[in-house]
Amino acid sequence: MYVSPIREPLIRGNKDYSQVTKDILAPMAGTPSKYWYMGIALALSAALFGAWATYVTLFTGIGSWGLNKTIGWGWDITNFVWWVGIGHAGTFISAILLLFRQKWRTSINRSAEAMTLIAVMCAGFFPLIHMGRLFLGFFIFPYPNTRALWVNFNSPLLWDVFAISTYFAVSLIFWYVGLIPDIGTVRDKAKTKIRKAIYGFLSFGWTGSAKHWSRHETVSLILAGLAAPLVLSVHTIVSFDFATSVIPGWHTTIFPPYFVSGAVFSGFAMVLTLLIITRKALHLEEYITVNHIESMNKIIILTGSIVGIAYMTEFFIAWYSGNEYEMFTFVNRAFGPYAWAYWIMMTCNVITPQLFWFKKIRTNVLITFIISIFVNIGMWFERFVIVVSSLHRDYLPSSWSMYTPSVVEVGLYVGTLGLFFTLFLLFIRVFPVIAIAEVKSVLKTSGENKNHSEHE
Amino acid sequence: MNKYITAYYLDEEKLLDGLKQVKAKGFKIADVLSPFPVHGIDKVLGLRRSRLTRVAFIGGAIGAITGFGFQAWVFTMAYPINFGGKPFFAAPSFIPVAFETTVLFAAFSMVFAFLIASKLLPGNDPVIHDERVTDDHFLVIIDVADGSSTDEISKIEKALQEAGAEGIKYKA
Amino acid sequence: MENLTFTLTKKIVTICLIMVSIGLFALVYGVVAGSGGERIAANILLNNYYFLGMGLIGLFFVAVHAIAESGWQVSVQRIGEAMSTFIPVAGVLMLLFFAFGGLHSIYDWTHPDHIDEILAKKAPYLNEPFFYIRLLIYFTVWSLLAYYIRKSSRELDSLNDIKYFHRLRKFSAIFIVVYAITSVMSSWDWLMSIDAHWFSTLYGWYVFMSMMVSGIALIIIILYLLKRMGYMTHVNNEHVHDLGKYLFGFSIFWAYLWFSQYMLIWYANIPEETIYYYDRLHEFKPIFMINIVINLAFPLLVLMTRNSKRVFWMLIPVAVIVFIGHWIDLYQLIMPGAVGGEKAGIGFLEIGLTIGYLGLFFLVVFYSLTKAPLVPKNHPFYKESMDYHTNY
Repeated sequence: MYVSPIREPLIRGNKDYSQVTKDILAPMAGTPSKYWYMGIALALSAALFGAWATYVTLFTGIGSWGLNKTIGWGWDITNFVWWVGIGHAGTFISAILLLFRQKWRTSINRSAEAMTLIAVMCAGFFPLIHMGRLFLGFFIFPYPNTRALWVNFNSPLLWDVFAISTYFAVSLIFWYVGLIPDIGTVRDKAKTKIRKAIYGFLSFGWTGSAKHWSRHETVSLILAGLAAPLVLSVHTIVSFDFATSVIPGWHTTIFPPYFVSGAVFSGFAMVLTLLIITRKALHLEEYITVNHIESMNKIIILTGSIVGIAYMTEFFIAWYSGNEYEMFTFVNRAFGPYAWAYWIMMTCNVITPQLFWFKKIRTNVLITFIISIFVNIGMWFERFVIVVSSLHRDYLPSSWSMYTPSVVEVGLYVGTLGLFFTLFLLFIRVFPVIAIAEVKSVLKTSGENKNHSEHE
Repeated sequence: MNKYITAYYLDEEKLLDGLKQVKAKGFKIADVLSPFPVHGIDKVLGLRRSRLTRVAFIGGAIGAITGFGFQAWVFTMAYPINFGGKPFFAAPSFIPVAFETTVLFAAFSMVFAFLIASKLLPGNDPVIHDERVTDDHFLVIIDVADGSSTDEISKIEKALQEAGAEGIKYKA
Repeated sequence: MENLTFTLTKKIVTICLIMVSIGLFALVYGVVAGSGGERIAANILLNNYYFLGMGLIGLFFVAVHAIAESGWQVSVQRIGEAMSTFIPVAGVLMLLFFAFGGLHSIYDWTHPDHIDEILAKKAPYLNEPFFYIRLLIYFTVWSLLAYYIRKSSRELDSLNDIKYFHRLRKFSAIFIVVYAITSVMSSWDWLMSIDAHWFSTLYGWYVFMSMMVSGIALIIIILYLLKRMGYMTHVNNEHVHDLGKYLFGFSIFWAYLWFSQYMLIWYANIPEETIYYYDRLHEFKPIFMINIVINLAFPLLVLMTRNSKRVFWMLIPVAVIVFIGHWIDLYQLIMPGAVGGEKAGIGFLEIGLTIGYLGLFFLVVFYSLTKAPLVPKNHPFYKESMDYHTNY
């Protein structure tokens, strides 16, 4: 297939297929570097903090959190939505970008999907812990029971249960199906018997037969077709948690697409944060090139601008509606006691990503890294603003209140961050971080040593 | 079928050209093993379009009916209960869960169908013809019928050689 | 060798002119038969908005693909460019229509005696001078950008310098940003303010997506017509497949937005919001239901298989029906507020006027197609688009 010479190559350096295999498998071989050990030690201690916080919550109850009667949702839901949002980029990259035939996805989809799965696990933890009794968590599923009672299918919180678990399950099989051929490669390159046996087991007996590849491609494509609306549905349903209510600041029809856009926005920011470190640490700069980073930055501008337009639309319609309560909520957001959170959100989400309009900035790895952190922070504050600032001043001024998280809530959040990085660090040791077969399939057309004359 | 000839290529375009040549001489290619899907190989090998899409459709349809039907049954027959003044048959409320079950059933039925049809299952121990197939080798397999003479075998080998294949091996 | 110069034959012009005269006749008929000023005005607004939307989507199609650096669309890019030339035409018609009584026939908020407490609060936005200022801004900016995008595309063609491609991308980026804001605002101005008390934050994106689906349908239809006339032979099944996928995908996305807005309003059940659907679910119930069936269920089921997106005999009926479907969507956005259940209807006035607008639109588009070769030969992705085949 012809590729225009003005397109930047996706794989740098003069590579052949064998070199690609070698480069991508390199990080899995040998003993981990000392940075890896330092990273995992740090991540595990954060996770330990989280374990302590979980212990406190389970044994003393939700009372150990900073919630009160007015503000019934605080950091828990903020973190939940934040993590689910981060979990959107992986499947967005592998499903929607596959449908749009964006070849640059091949270098980043595997690790982004792994990140998605881990992020969704972290997200799922918060609603469960908020129940206070983890061991009764199965109550959320509709199962036949002696009370002949069913769950409330009218509740958006229940839709969440279905959406998150479906999303996790489908993302998992999508990721794994894509991984099977690469596990085959790991198996065939394994040096020890044990490694060979383990990866042989995990590879499901992959041989690379033409028939299998043909089916594999069909399955990937249809899974992408199924996962694309699924990605949309998950954050849509998360937004329903808020938007189906009648609380000013929560009930607004733009929430579903705006949440989805925000989720992709924050997800890409987290992918950038992780991959900029990963490519450096694992020496994968030739696969995850500046060109890839630039493409991701373009998606950051796009989704960030959509989010920006949604903020302004909300604000304008709050005024336009003529509803004083609606207007109060928005003025209170921007100029009330939580104005600092609102302005952090505005700065990080709407203003900083606009810097990416300049090519110099969006191709600068260091600045991209910094902005990606800004976006992560901004999107966390977005959820905080939506949750807390809409609740803390309700219709009855005597019940107006403020919210400060307790150390237990901070612990739970830090704990999930620890879990996230621990699992990601394990992932880069256990599985290839880049989809080997997919990179090989674009090497000829998009590698730096591409030879046009052969293809015309 | 336990007698076959294997040969490999190092480039997918040479592979495609070679396959066409071998095929033109009337030899049937049993399989091609490759490190990544080769564009256009389906046509050369005469592979049919996969019917897994139909499995996905049927799975999805069952999922949709199950999801929607179950909720409708719970709320209209098993345990009708008034939530916020909504009707018992609150169709808009049922759509999100019905959508999720649709996707869940479609995805799982298709992936399981794929794994079973391709005999890809954990613990499977396939014949690894060449460990370099998952790296950079494109392996062609041509079956040899039982009772073929050495003459017929060398004919196949010659055809492969002329088509630019390397490492031609006869395995019995 | 493929014929790249489109010639406007007498036959095309005649057919288009006949269609336009049907439209004019329908207007006269509306007046004579006493359809009422409101109904006539609402119909003009409906069609003007609809075909303006088609022009904008044509431009959006070109701009968004230029930004995304997509290759395949080069083969149909000129259709989008030609569609965009309708924007200034629609602008002039819109301005004339509003200035000569349309504004007062449709919008409640222009009548001082209808201003209540809520509308008084909205007056800083909903007032006539500001309304006209915004209208002029929208059309000036859109027309200018459409002109510059077309101009750079044609300069790229004749001068064959990559700098015009970069210029095309720059104007496209500006257009996308401008359009992201103006498409939302213009839908508030011209459509949402018909039901002046009602509001929905999603409204602008919903209307945009509705226009998007029918815009893609119209691109497919125009492509088909050109192929029938013997042009565009370079467009193969793969290109058609992509357009078909757009039609399929955007139809689902449109339904998603429809559901999001409906479900949230239904669920929260706040009277000031539900009143909007109350009208539509009572006096306009058949239209309301048809809207969902032919804009979601129909394309979803028919275009699900691979083949139906690739062959014209399957794709064209869907494109035509979806094109009509989104006209009906716009109908149910406008009529309940502007005309009301008793006076509204679908008769010769509606159908004839739409045919008239379609004729005018085709006349403009086909005339513009003669101005440039049907394929931008010097586009950097031209070769990619010609050598286009995918596995799926």
